[in-house]
Parts: sequence; C-alpha cells; structure tokens
Amino acid sequence: MAREKIYLEEVFPSPFMQLWGIFRKTPVAMVGFCCFIFLILLAIFAPILSPYSPVDGNLEMILLPPAWHTDGDVSYLLGTDELGRDMLSRLMYGTSLTFGLSFIVVIFSLVIGVVIGSLSALTRGIKSSFLNHFLDVVLSIPSLLLAIIIVAILGPGISNTVWAIAIVFIPQFIHITRYAVKEEFRKDYVLASRLDGASNFRILYYSVFPNIVERLMSQATLAQSAAILDIATLGFLGLGAQIPLPEWGAILANGLERFYIAPWTVYLPGLAILFAVVATNLVGEGIRHALKLRKEN
Amino acid sequence: MLTFTLRRISLFIFTMLVLTLLSFSLSFLFPGDTVINHSGQINATASELVQLNKAYQMDKSIVDQYGAYLTHILNGDFGQSMASQSPINNEIIELLPATIELSLVALLIAMVVGIPLGFIAAINHNKASDNVILSLAMLGYSIPVFWLGLLAILVFSIGLGWLPSAGQISLLFEIEFVSGIQFIDILLSDSPYKWQAFSNASAHIILPACVIALAPATIFIRLSRAAMIEVLAASYIRAARAKGLSFQQIIFRHAIRNALIKIIRHVGLQFANLVTIAMVTEVIFSWPGIGRWLIESIYQRDYTAIQSGLLVLSCFIFIIHILTDFIYAALNPLARGNQHGS
Repeated sequence: MAREKIYLEEVFPSPFMQLWGIFRKTPVAMVGFCCFIFLILLAIFAPILSPYSPVDGNLEMILLPPAWHTDGDVSYLLGTDELGRDMLSRLMYGTSLTFGLSFIVVIFSLVIGVVIGSLSALTRGIKSSFLNHFLDVVLSIPSLLLAIIIVAILGPGISNTVWAIAIVFIPQFIHITRYAVKEEFRKDYVLASRLDGASNFRILYYSVFPNIVERLMSQATLAQSAAILDIATLGFLGLGAQIPLPEWGAILANGLERFYIAPWTVYLPGLAILFAVVATNLVGEGIRHALKLRKEN
Repeated sequence: MLTFTLRRISLFIFTMLVLTLLSFSLSFLFPGDTVINHSGQINATASELVQLNKAYQMDKSIVDQYGAYLTHILNGDFGQSMASQSPINNEIIELLPATIELSLVALLIAMVVGIPLGFIAAINHNKASDNVILSLAMLGYSIPVFWLGLLAILVFSIGLGWLPSAGQISLLFEIEFVSGIQFIDILLSDSPYKWQAFSNASAHIILPACVIALAPATIFIRLSRAAMIEVLAASYIRAARAKGLSFQQIIFRHAIRNALIKIIRHVGLQFANLVTIAMVTEVIFSWPGIGRWLIESIYQRDYTAIQSGLLVLSCFIFIIHILTDFIYAALNPLARGNQHGS
C-alpha cells in the first residue's frame, strides 16, 4: 500500500552542498570558477583547438606582432616568436603544461598528504611530537627553495620539476589534515559515533572527512596558485621545462633576449600566468568566504 | 621567559640538526662520490683522497660520518666550490650580506606599505575602499615575480631611465669590504664621494627591493586587516568607546598596538617566502647575492655549493624566525606563559 507523504520532510543538505549554495551566490567567485573550468578544458583540448603546432615554426613569419598591431597578421592572432612559431598555439599548449600539470600535482600531493595526515592525527606521544617538529622545519623552508634543491638532485627537466613540486606540497597537506582531523576528533559528534562503537577509520571516513573537505579544498587552491608560480618560475630559470616545450615560464625566458624589439613574447606568457593564478585565487577566496558565511549562520 | 627561551633553544638545536642531516644526506643523493660532494675537491689526487676519506671518516659507520661532517661545518669548513675551487665559506661571507641587505630593505618596504593599508581596509570593513584594497592585494599576490621584475626594468630603467637595472652599486665607486652590507660599508669608508656612492647604492636597491616587497606586502595587508578586524571586535575597544574616547584615540592608542603584536608573530614565516622571491629577483637584477650564486651553482652542477648554500640560507631564515618569536614574546606577555604555544 502506497503511503502518502504526510510529513514535509526537512532536507539538510550536506556541508559541501551548503557551501556550494553560498559559493554560487558570489558573482566574483563564480567568474573565477568559470575561468578555472575554461583553463581545465583548454588544458585537455589544446591539441585539438590550437591552430598551429607549438614547436614547428614558419620561417617566413618571424617575430610577427599580434593581430591588433598595424604589422600584424590575423592568421597569427597573438603574433609569432623568433622562429615563427604561433604564440597563441604555444600559449594553448602551455596551459596543459603549466596549469594542467599543477592541477595534477596538487591532486597527487593532496591524496598522499591526506592519507599520511589522518594516520598521524591518530597517533600520540613522541612519534607525533617528532612529526610536528619535523613538519615545522620542512614548512619553514620556502616551497620554491625546496623545489630548486630537489631539481638540483634530480637534474633539470619538466618531469623532475613535477616530482619536486609534488614532494614539496605534501607536508602542507599533512599539516592541515592533521590539524583539522585532531580538531574534529575533539567534537561531540565524533564522541557520539565512538559510543556507538565505530572504529577510528569508520569515524574518519563517515564523520570527519565530509566536514573537513572544504578546508582541504581551500588549501588546495592556495597550493595550486603556488604550484603554477613555481612551475613557471623553474621554467623561467631554465631548471624546469626545457627548450622546445611551450611551458609559460620557459616561453617567457625564451623571449627575454628580444624583450625590447618583441615585447609580446614576454608580456603574453606573463599575462597567461597571471590569469591562471588569479582564477585559482578567486576560487580559493570564494571557498573561504563561503566557509566564513556558513560558520556565521 | 626562561622556559620560553629554553623551548626556543631546544627547537633551534633540533632544527639545526635536521637541517645539517638534510645537507649531509644531500651528498649521498647527488650524483658522484660522496666524499667529493662533501669537500668539493674534484681534482683530488689519490693521496689527497685518502686524506679526505680519513677527515670525513668515510670508512666508519654513518653516525661517525655525520659527526665528522658536523665538525667540519662547525669549524666553518664547507669545502671547496667545485666550479671555482675556492673555499665556499669565503664566497658565502662575501655574498650573504648582499642578500640580507636586499631582503631586509624589502621586508621594511613590505611592512611600511602593507600594514597601514591593511588597517585602512579593516577600519572601512565591507566598504568600497576595503574591497579595492583586497582586490589589489590579490592581484599583487598573483603576479609572477620574474615577470614583474622584467616589466619594472622595461618601464623604469629602459623606458623612463629613472633607475639602474642591474647590480648593487655603480662600478665607479670603490667601497672597501668591511661588513658586506653596502650601506654600512659606504658610511664607514672615508672616500670623498661617500654621499654620491650612498645615493647611487640607494638608486640600485629601490627597484629590486620593491619587486620583492610586492607579494609579502599583500600578505601583510591581509594579516593586518584580519588582526585589526579581530581587535576592533574585542570588548576592550567597546569599553574604550563607552568611555567616550574619540575614534582616533581608540585606533592609535588601543587598536594599532594590539593589532601590531599579532602581525609581528607572522613576520618570521613571511620572511622565508620573501627570501625565495629575493633569489629569483637577484637573478633578474644581477644582484651579487647568495640566491643568484645558488642558482648558478645548479647550472654548473656544483653540488658542494648547492648543499652549503641551502644550509646557510635556511639557517638564516630560521634565525630570523626565532628572533621574531623572541620579539613577539617580549612584547606580548600572554605568549610567554602559554604552555601549548609553539
């Protein structure tokens, strides 16, 4: 027998959905979010979308200024560099290197950091204190410096840069997960499910993680904006992506010699980096803003 | 205060041990022979190698090896640079002061610009000026530092010709090396062109210091804004208002002092960030500091230099960290008694 719904059921959206509800109402954050999605799509589909190859040059079209310039050619929208390579295609391919790789790196460090961090939050005593001090030391070394050292050990190259940056970001995530899990474990709802006989891992998975996922995401956006800057900086210093690769920092370093006669080879990749970092930071700000509002309600 | 000092000292010793352990293990991680990475003597003859192996106790256990390495470091012997074959500690003594000078000037600029802006934003919380300052702060935080440095050179050095684009001082001035910090050396020297040299050195430092200062300044804006908002919501501010104090009196006598204490606490952590930015900026502005030297050693695969440079730079960062902790504790009695503060 079908029972009619007599009670108006009260729906409690999950913490994450509450956050999304607030996030959606902040226009600036949504603009950042759209730019972020746009960059991800560009990173995936760059090979299909880009008009030219990023490494093959057209020697008849060397150092062509962007199309809005009087000497520009509309078939090379953002101009060409000293080997006649199309800047637009290089920047599009660069999205998957600088932005796409930083995204993957952050996800990778996030997963490893969360696993180690939540395990370490469950330990106490000397092991925990040692880890705390150790993390303090590692976190006091700036990420770029540590990445430079790891690249020095592994040797220059884009894959080594990626590994270096992944290793550098793990401690941050361990630290924040550990802190967040410890804080949640002191709360009453965890005690309630412990009284129900739940094991530590069950509490972690079903009770704690849904409540700290936004804090991790906010840290992840911070880490990603730092990762984009670090990959680009290493590329610029010649320690990251090597010569033909269209990584944004490397393109910029490449244009350095012709800085004065062809300024677009320097300011365009810089603008691309700025755009990616601003988009990431806007998303991060939006999450933090929404977190604050949700806490106040 | 005594327990606080003891805690800091134990933390300092622990950190130094970890850092030296890290740089010790780097010798094993780098390609090539461990003892050559320790000492940097790539052209050592067979008999010299035997001597080196003995000095670094390479035939004994790893603990003894670490002890030998530590003794070398404590005696100020970092080995030789593989590229130039000159002792690294001499190179570091010449280069480190330039980095200290640049980063301290940048820190000063960042604090002088960032903290008042943050206070203004906090006082006008949720108004237009708050939003403008916050958006500018986010933009400043997102600009890649090498790009900013290049644009600054393009505009101020090449375009307008106001400021020099490279180096620490014009080569025309001969300043004797005393402390390594250019401004102090200039003031100590008895050259008749002292003041010209001084203004020349200041013109050289403005551009790189401002470029470095931008990102930390934006962080100081956020920190001071958050601190000020928190202080203004405190009950003693309400009490002051109830007493009938004017707005200026509340801000200048009560709010700013308490907010500043909270900011000082974070200066140490920000300094580490600032030094990394300074390393990249040194490369762009050809500043003769330790950052540029370290990056050049990576190009040259000078492993001994990389290892020692890392050790010295992180020690420097950590000493500043501890110093700010002490200043914080000296200014804020609450921090001293806190058993759980770390």
